[in-house]
Amino acid sequence: MATVTATEPTVAARPEPAQTPEQGEHGWLRWVRLIPLFIGALVFILPFYYMVVSALQKDPNPNISGAFPNPNKLSLDNLVNINNAISLPRTLLNSGLFTGGVLLATLVFGVLAGYALAQLHFRGRQVVFYTMILLLVMPFQLLIIPLYVLIARNFGLADTLLGMILPFAINPTAVFIFRQFFLQLPKDMFEAARIDGASELTILTRVVLPLTRPAILTALLITFIGPWNEFLWPFLITKKLSLQPLAVALANFISTSAQRGPNPYGAILAGATVLAVPVIILFLIFQRRFVESSIGSAVKG
Amino acid sequence: MAVSAPAPAGARRPRLQTLLGEQPIGYLFVAPFVIFLIAIYAYPFFYSIYMSFYDYFFAAPGAVVDRPFVGLANYTRAVQDPLFHIALRNVVIFLLINVPVTVVVAMVLATALNAAIPLRSFFRAAYYVPYVTASVAAVSIWLWLFGGPGLVNKVSGPLAPNPTWLVNAFWVMPIIALYVTWKGLGLYILLYLAALQNIAKELYEAASVDGAGRIRSFLVVTVPGLRPATLLVVITSVITGANLFTEPYLLTGGGGPDNQSVSPVFLLYRQGIEQNHPGYAAAMGLLLVLGVLIVSAINRFVLERE
Amino acid sequence: MRSIHWASLGGALALILALAGCGGSSQTSSQAASAKGPIQVWYSNNPEEVKWGEAMVAGWNKDHPQDQVTGQQIPAGKSSEEVIGAGITAGTTPCLIFNTSPASVPQFQKQGGLVPLSDFSGANAYIDSRTGSRAGQYKSPDGKYYQMPWKTNPVMIFYNKDVFQKAGLDVSNPPLKTYDQFLTTSQAAVAKGGVRAAIWPAPSSEFYQPWFDFYPLFIAQTKGKQLVENKQPQFDSSDGIAVANFWRQMYAGNLAPKEPAQGDAFATGQAAMAIVGPWAIAQYTGKVNWGVVPVPTKNGMDPAQIHTFSDQKSVGMYSSCKNRGTAWDFLKFTTSSANDGQLLELTGQMPMRTDLPGTYGSYFQSHPEYKLFADQASRTVEVPNVPNSVEMWQDFRAAYSKSVIFGNQSVDQSFKAASDQIKTLVSQ
Repeated sequence: MATVTATEPTVAARPEPAQTPEQGEHGWLRWVRLIPLFIGALVFILPFYYMVVSALQKDPNPNISGAFPNPNKLSLDNLVNINNAISLPRTLLNSGLFTGGVLLATLVFGVLAGYALAQLHFRGRQVVFYTMILLLVMPFQLLIIPLYVLIARNFGLADTLLGMILPFAINPTAVFIFRQFFLQLPKDMFEAARIDGASELTILTRVVLPLTRPAILTALLITFIGPWNEFLWPFLITKKLSLQPLAVALANFISTSAQRGPNPYGAILAGATVLAVPVIILFLIFQRRFVESSIGSAVKG
Repeated sequence: MAVSAPAPAGARRPRLQTLLGEQPIGYLFVAPFVIFLIAIYAYPFFYSIYMSFYDYFFAAPGAVVDRPFVGLANYTRAVQDPLFHIALRNVVIFLLINVPVTVVVAMVLATALNAAIPLRSFFRAAYYVPYVTASVAAVSIWLWLFGGPGLVNKVSGPLAPNPTWLVNAFWVMPIIALYVTWKGLGLYILLYLAALQNIAKELYEAASVDGAGRIRSFLVVTVPGLRPATLLVVITSVITGANLFTEPYLLTGGGGPDNQSVSPVFLLYRQGIEQNHPGYAAAMGLLLVLGVLIVSAINRFVLERE
Repeated sequence: MRSIHWASLGGALALILALAGCGGSSQTSSQAASAKGPIQVWYSNNPEEVKWGEAMVAGWNKDHPQDQVTGQQIPAGKSSEEVIGAGITAGTTPCLIFNTSPASVPQFQKQGGLVPLSDFSGANAYIDSRTGSRAGQYKSPDGKYYQMPWKTNPVMIFYNKDVFQKAGLDVSNPPLKTYDQFLTTSQAAVAKGGVRAAIWPAPSSEFYQPWFDFYPLFIAQTKGKQLVENKQPQFDSSDGIAVANFWRQMYAGNLAPKEPAQGDAFATGQAAMAIVGPWAIAQYTGKVNWGVVPVPTKNGMDPAQIHTFSDQKSVGMYSSCKNRGTAWDFLKFTTSSANDGQLLELTGQMPMRTDLPGTYGSYFQSHPEYKLFADQASRTVEVPNVPNSVEMWQDFRAAYSKSVIFGNQSVDQSFKAASDQIKTLVSQ
């Protein structure tokens, strides 16, 4: 791959980038070819649909007919229960702070590390790379108690936002993603910039970042979900209700209403729906930007 | 954070360069990451190595407890433990199904979703949805689908196995592998989509000039162009497989049926946290990490050689 | 190539040494034992217990402005033991946890996480007089109490009267006394009652699941034996094997499903019966027209003789507690006759107190459905207080799952093997 790309260092500007040559087909054929995609999408969306529908049912229905309820039997009871049990605005804010902190650190430090691992030559690079893989492999369940002792006792960060964020502050998966994408960029581009006298930081911020916007969005979307859905760590590190993120509050809600309450099953799914909806909205917003970025326009601009 | 660093000295200091490498500024760039690793993860990591040589258990600060040194006993126990064997076998079954399916399906779908097709946003969101759905909900949906009176059995009729899927010793691991593939596919499609943006259109044009059809240009341009992304996908999948936990914990009610769906991390959780034998858990965990490092090194060698 | 590597290794080692150096500063226990001052307590997060907990804290704080108590919720579920375990290791546990599982007590004690309550003057007498002869089961092997038995949910059999009616079964006095009756009744319920299962205990492999299928019947059949007594496993006996073979028949006949239920099988009408304690009443009332009977025995037994599993929760005092004098006083305050009564009133769970029907006569008059449980609560058996308790239950569950639920081995064989394994485990 590298050899081929190297012959094409500057990529021409294109309005709609990187499309496989399938564009100019006749209308009906295009729709026919969508059928497998539709079926696939159905397989992926059906469970989600089921979750939403069950969350809206007043009486639990574990049978297949539960997926196609009588519209008159739908109600917002489960959602109202959640809203009564936990303060959605406060927990959402906490989730936002927790996730935002993680994302910020991951983005800033992860891009730097990923760039160094991909494009800079220095001794020990391999060691850092394998240390990163090592960290990716280490099961969290193995580290969690020593980690908790370290952060709660030695760092004294129990019941703080920082203590919540710290173990996730740099996501090695994101570093790995950045590295892989920076690796894909044509080498000549860097050489040219360096000959022009640009510092590495300038190359990174002015040349590399605009080119790899999809990778950065991907890394963000991937990193986002970890802290957003994380339950055990934030719960362990803080028992303060006022600091609890949405996932923790929902897990508590589920563990109480799974034992009692009129519709425990619906409560679980309603909780999961509340947790998933903000993420899907964010995804829909971000994935547009995802398409707009392109090597061509970025190089030109 | 790294402030605007002094311009790299280029070829001025050859001796320092042979010592540190061509661009020593790299140290500055990785420094926050390395400091983070040391401050947060070095202690728990070295602590697990230490624990693995002891009959260790977690105790209250200041408590006087007896934790004898046991040498390699935890490791020999792990090597001989039939449950650990089942767990490793399960990881292999998982990877044999998950990795090829993930790579092929994600690559094909990403290529399809990258084209200018109608409803592109809808499709992308559809495949992404399971990835963001909390496990507790995704699991209950699969229980519903694969349960005795569930949809899958209704459709498969007389072909349905007995006992049914998730309590069937033969089917349980393949179903778990499919579940994880389904849940994570959206992520891998995203990775491939991002990587596709970096493949120059000219390459497709050149291939088409050479008379390549759609399938051929997929094979000679897209697949090789996605190689760094594929390495990422394969290694991430291997790591996911080695770290399987939620599924035996939630989907099969604690590694059932009959311990046939236990995973290494699940055993480690049971031993280390539920039963407070972290020494033994650490030994299993470190053996697992060693295995994954070897597999990753092989993958990297195969997929990154030029 | 090596530089970063060694630097990081060196840094890590320095850090470890630094951390090791600052461990182990704790107050001597004699100072703490009588110390008074503010304390923290945790209680379960279900609304009823939260209400009770908040009332207790408020009631105490009103009269003790110097020694204020702060209350917090922890989840009552899978993760609560992990949270407590991690808290012990880091020294961040509160003074009291009103939700300590007796099965975890041996482990917490081994970790040095629990304060022996017996060291407080008058504590043994207080516990013994409150709980009566059942209290002995909560003593640790060294003869001390490391937990205060607090409340029980004695396990019984709930049945759905409408389903039984439909199946042509006697609704007011259902034939559920002997194993044969139970099997015949189960078959009738599934055949004619319009339910998928006769009874649906969770068939999953968590270590605590035996408490809600095998163990209550075993306790009843043996007239009150624990799973292990005097370091000898008791289940590899004719009684234990009879109980296991009964359940095996239930599974083999598809009267009890091998896969997990979606939601609560009894409340949703998927199962005709449930094996559970009185906390569930709140959940069933209004949905299921239920009745309750004691658990069955092989040849039937006088209900007044039947013992069952307690599903008891204790209160533990944790060694990170500085003001133990206040903690002990608060513990006595919350387990007073009046406050136990309030627990009963608010949660419907049975305080571990002798003569419930006599002490809280008016409550049981207005809540007759709880009366049977109050009576049953006087004959409950706990999990044995032995080392490696959780591991023991996990091993037992594996053997049970293999032979009883999935029928891949004979009960005799698997119980024999498990008994040998557990014998070495508990004598460690």
